[in-house]
Amino acid sequence: MKRDWINLGLAAFVVLFFVFMLAPILIVVLVSFTSAGYVSFPIPGWSLKWFAHIFEYQPFIDALIVSIEIAIGATVLSCLIGVPAAIFLARSRSAWASGIMTFLLSPLSMPMIVIGFASLFFLSWLGVGISFAALLITHTVVCLPYIVRTVAGVYAGLPRSYEEAAAILGANPLLTFWHVTLPLIRPGIMAGSLFSFLTSFDNLPISYFFGSASTNTLPVVMLSYMENQFDPTIAALSTLQLALAVVALLIVDRVYGIDKMTVAG
Amino acid sequence: MSDTSLQQTLPSRRTRLLAPPLLALPAVLFLVVFFVLPLIDNGMRSVIANDGGFTLSRYASLLTDGFYLWIIAQTVLLSAGVTIISIIIGYPVAYFLVRKAGRFSGLIIFLLIAPLLTSIIMRTFGWQVLFARRGLVNNLLVDQLGILSAPLRLTNSPEIAIAALVHVLVPFMVLSIATVLQGIDTRLEESAKILGANRLRTFFEVTLPLSLDGIGTGAILVFMIANGSFVTLVLLGGGMQTLPLMIYQQFNTTRDFGMASAMSMILLVIAVFCLFLQLRLVRRKGA
Repeated sequence: MKRDWINLGLAAFVVLFFVFMLAPILIVVLVSFTSAGYVSFPIPGWSLKWFAHIFEYQPFIDALIVSIEIAIGATVLSCLIGVPAAIFLARSRSAWASGIMTFLLSPLSMPMIVIGFASLFFLSWLGVGISFAALLITHTVVCLPYIVRTVAGVYAGLPRSYEEAAAILGANPLLTFWHVTLPLIRPGIMAGSLFSFLTSFDNLPISYFFGSASTNTLPVVMLSYMENQFDPTIAALSTLQLALAVVALLIVDRVYGIDKMTVAG
Repeated sequence: MSDTSLQQTLPSRRTRLLAPPLLALPAVLFLVVFFVLPLIDNGMRSVIANDGGFTLSRYASLLTDGFYLWIIAQTVLLSAGVTIISIIIGYPVAYFLVRKAGRFSGLIIFLLIAPLLTSIIMRTFGWQVLFARRGLVNNLLVDQLGILSAPLRLTNSPEIAIAALVHVLVPFMVLSIATVLQGIDTRLEESAKILGANRLRTFFEVTLPLSLDGIGTGAILVFMIANGSFVTLVLLGGGMQTLPLMIYQQFNTTRDFGMASAMSMILLVIAVFCLFLQLRLVRRKGA
């Protein structure tokens, strides 16, 4: 009898925990469909006007395009340099290889605001100050670890025998990589790319320092909008963003299986 | 015959051994140039005076001036507070997930990971809506329950900022603890019970000590991210002043870049210390 009370209490706590976890998110989704002219809850009626309002505010559209370009660019760049590194590091057991791994993952542990602030001055000194290129470089610094970690995770779990078979059958290292290794690590690349894309897309502390009319990303524009106004447009934009993230996750899950991703993540 | 095949395999073997380390070179070079050099440059800026000479005056005031010391203390206390709350809230959830959830464990993991798909702006906005003048909480207190006659000004209070930070970081704590709980041999707990320990004593003397590694991993992770948190505090800060907020202010309004660099270095030292602890914990687990 006493046992049941403890279990029941624990279960109730977990339910409360998820109310806490989901409430701030669900409330934004609901407010984005409000018919009111201001933020209120409960909402007085339903409407899609705040979604329409997103497209009437040009800075949102410009910033959305910049954000997508940067997120894709940083992810591609991270894959180009991160996948080869992950392939080497996943199979090496030497102490300095694990040191390199730690180094490649270290941007994850540093405060983003410090990376952003320091990069702005350094890149300005290099002559690429506030520009698309600077934004792309700095985003790649924080996206790279996600690619390295997930690809190395997937690759470390693969048996060497496939590649050895290809090599014995006469394939050169490049052919082996293209026809054997790459298809095998593709789930890791996709999962890492998804994390990388979402990280870049949601980044504010770095993008903030590189803000200008042509390089403002969506979170930067949203922040400055929120500092001046408090209306449901932000809710509508957030809901749209969430929907896109869910769709992306479902596609990756459909093609590669979510269980493979969580193992690697 | 065997001689030629040996000669054929030898060079290819050698290239297989030599080529791989080169594979990591582009990534390492990229981070050295665009991650390490900017941080070194930042360190230099923090010790170069406005007239071009060397100075430690910024660090001297950061580490002796009461105003700045209080900012550093607030930064550390806030992160520590968020970490402790995350442990207290996260542990029962992790325990339930591993030991009790059964067929619900998939759902729980999904619910833990799903919020990571939402933007930080969305979650911050969510807290603003919950506690806005015409938000859910005021609606309940004023209109539905009639406890208050006028809506409260709730947004921009430290409590809500802390709740918002816990909301962002507690999933990391739950997952860190759950990973370690999963690896504990339940026979140890059964033995304790057979030897006469009650559930509470079993938990505090067997389960909890065995899961300390998970709490440690989660705590370092949460502390590290809370330490650099910025968006949540800008929008919900409630008058708290932390190092990231001060860097933002120095950059935006005061435009004292040397001071902002010195503050960045302090924040960086805290982060590097956390990374060091994290590596030690991982290494001990490996041994």
